[in-house]
Amino acid sequence: MQDCHKSQKIAICMVGLPARGKTYISRKLHRYLNWLGYNCKVFNIGNYRREICGTECDKSFFDSKNEQATKARNECAQLALNDLIGYLNSDGEIAIFDGTNTTKERRNMVYSSLLQQCQNVQTLWIESICDDVEVIQNNIRLTKLNNPDYVSMNPEDATKDFLGRIKMYEEVYQKIELDENLSFIKLINIGEDIQIHKVKGYLLSKIISYLMNLHIYPRPIYLTRHGGSTFNQENRVGGDCDLAQQGIKYSQKLGNFLLEEFPSQEQRNQIHCLTSTMKRATQTADIVCNILKINYLQLKTLDEINVGICDSLTYAQIAIQFPEDFAERKVNKLTYRYPRGESYLDLISRIEPIIYEIERSREPVLVIGHQAILRCLYAYFHRNEISEVPQLDIPIHVVIKLTPAAYYCEEIRIKIDPETGDKKQIEEDLQITRINILTKKKSYILL
Amino acid sequence: MQQYKKTQYKLILVLVGLPARGKTHISYKLNRYLNWIGYKSEIFSIKGAQQKDDKLDQIIDYELEIDPENQQIVEVRQKLSFQAAQQLVTFLQTEGDIALYNGLTNTKCDRQKLKSFFKEQLQLEFQVFWIESICDDPQVIVNNINESKQSRFKDKTIEQFMNHINVISQDYQTLENIENLSYIKLINIGKQVKVHMLEGYLCSKIVSFLLNLHANNRQIYLVRSCQTEYHILDKIGGDPELSAMGKQHSQQLGDYFIEELKGNKNITFFTSQMKRGIQTADIVGEKLGIIALKTKNLDEIDYGICDGLTVKEIAAKYPKQIKERKANPLEFKYPRGESFLDVIHRVEPIIYEIERSRDPVLIIAHVAVLKCLYAYYHCNQISEIPNIEIPINCVIKLVPIPYHCLESRVIIK
Repeated sequence: MQDCHKSQKIAICMVGLPARGKTYISRKLHRYLNWLGYNCKVFNIGNYRREICGTECDKSFFDSKNEQATKARNECAQLALNDLIGYLNSDGEIAIFDGTNTTKERRNMVYSSLLQQCQNVQTLWIESICDDVEVIQNNIRLTKLNNPDYVSMNPEDATKDFLGRIKMYEEVYQKIELDENLSFIKLINIGEDIQIHKVKGYLLSKIISYLMNLHIYPRPIYLTRHGGSTFNQENRVGGDCDLAQQGIKYSQKLGNFLLEEFPSQEQRNQIHCLTSTMKRATQTADIVCNILKINYLQLKTLDEINVGICDSLTYAQIAIQFPEDFAERKVNKLTYRYPRGESYLDLISRIEPIIYEIERSREPVLVIGHQAILRCLYAYFHRNEISEVPQLDIPIHVVIKLTPAAYYCEEIRIKIDPETGDKKQIEEDLQITRINILTKKKSYILL
Repeated sequence: MQQYKKTQYKLILVLVGLPARGKTHISYKLNRYLNWIGYKSEIFSIKGAQQKDDKLDQIIDYELEIDPENQQIVEVRQKLSFQAAQQLVTFLQTEGDIALYNGLTNTKCDRQKLKSFFKEQLQLEFQVFWIESICDDPQVIVNNINESKQSRFKDKTIEQFMNHINVISQDYQTLENIENLSYIKLINIGKQVKVHMLEGYLCSKIVSFLLNLHANNRQIYLVRSCQTEYHILDKIGGDPELSAMGKQHSQQLGDYFIEELKGNKNITFFTSQMKRGIQTADIVGEKLGIIALKTKNLDEIDYGICDGLTVKEIAAKYPKQIKERKANPLEFKYPRGESFLDVIHRVEPIIYEIERSRDPVLIIAHVAVLKCLYAYYHCNQISEIPNIEIPINCVIKLVPIPYHCLESRVIIK
């Protein structure tokens, strides 16, 4: 549906005191919208401030009575805003303005600038409010102490200074009010209370639905392909074949592996197991869930990509019978649609509800899927560029364990030998993903 | 995700709000939606309880008699409200998945009593979600009364009704966090929304659904793509192009809509990604000066191994499947293809789009898909879907109004 609704540009502006999860929400939204295929970018005022004013700013820099500092901070915000407007006026579709925006004055300035200087833009304001002291302390510990601002300080001093900084902001904080006439959503105490005002339009409604499902429970997500099937062995695509002997053995070893990961039956009962309606996946799920003594859910949405007229052929046969299609697919694997079948873009659209399901779930999730499906799911968690999706490496007989952490996803890949049950942790060997890890770490430090 | 219902607990949706705030309207829409996506759902209200009670005199409409001074009527209403709650419990204990309760819930005390009643009586795991409708725009309230209650007022006037509401509102207590209930407040038909303690797959879905509701009565046009060579050959499925006759009919369709839409260019216009859909939509769109949004969700049902065969060929090659389909047409899945239930699931985002749109909606799609869309507005049971008639060259115009849906069909010659 996505290409249907690209008429308006969207500016999403965050509002809230420091350590309220604004950057966390910005990044999650950024990842989700990029995955869906929109051109989306985050503009973080803090980054601009660090570059221009340096990183040795203690809490007095944030005192509203400090005229010189206030002027400098306003300039940084303006610079970030200018870049954002430039982005939207060129090829950007959605821009996220990640800053505190805690006064009516600042919000007004941002809102009028956007309306004047951007053609046809819709704005959404996301305010994150939290008064749970424990959550705030945890936030500070996880995300601020590694911040370049505090590189030279010890944790206690850093925390004290940061709490002081929050106090500076609190003195002038004005929550969004109805009379500002803005489209907003307020997330209070991590979604315990949500307030929505004047939200209209396809994309904004979608963003709201997405935000309502976010939480910060660190539950693990296991992604694995079904066990090796007869078609896998013959190098055929599509079809609805059964598991091969190897596949059956893998399923059993997988079940045993999960028994160890979840030692008590109570923990196992909480696992959400999702699979497709194809035989090779349900057979794998049958075996695994028998061992774990849990139920699983069959969803047609997780069925493998529909290869249309190429169903049940080997790649060699496709090359001979449909040479043009074969060549076209090599050039543009992402958008190429099998005749009477689907493309990777169709897949992403199709499995979007699964992403909602996984995000919403506060319990461990196990997805037993197929190669193309898992490539799309994995790309969402791994923040891959959409162009990388068709090349991602999702090997057979490997379990990928993802644990979402503060700004990224911890990942462990375990190769399970179907014969012996040996488990070996493997490194991904794609250069692309290695760069991603590097950039992730870099942006983690930069906040 | 229909299959979820088998593993989850029961859900009770309780409506809260002063009279003429759209509670019944919301309950009807929700009930229709939940039944359509495959849950067994029913509404339990004072009106419903009255209809089921043979001993009661049916001339007085107890749902509308809200005069708080008339002690006798107040007692009857309380009794009916309690009966509705009991019927709800029976329903959930037997076959029901979801129940909507539209009774007396306007004070904190009432709500706590209701909550305890459910806890005592229901012997299984359940969740309660509270839906409150608040309105302070007098024009909206008057509109509500005009549209939905006017016909049922006998010797009453709107003024009397409004006076009663004013008296009742003195004791009205809006939902508060301290009551520890999971709720959503819709203020002025969704202009402002507050959600508290949202939990669970189904409640998230319901909240997303409610965010899209509005009170505009706009038209929805459902049309099949025009004739193709497959029609002439009696084949099903495939991705054929329009025949010459089909192109001509598309032109006539375009002309019909020029008159019908009277130059309105703000139309929500959808079609599928199949050639016949796109071609029909392109011809119609050109005449109207609008472009259709092409979405794969509206593609025709996947006929799997029967794709491209004629009806006779299928009967000869797959007699077993024909028998299965006759026995259970709704759930029958073409081997390597889809069933109607799969199509419903696939078409759900389109329903959200239609609901969200305040402009007229025009959909050019295919038989099975249109049956599912049509059923959302018209059928009480999804088992009726396979029997719905969606003729070719026919424009089905649906106008949803409070509590039901007006329909008219025009054959384009």
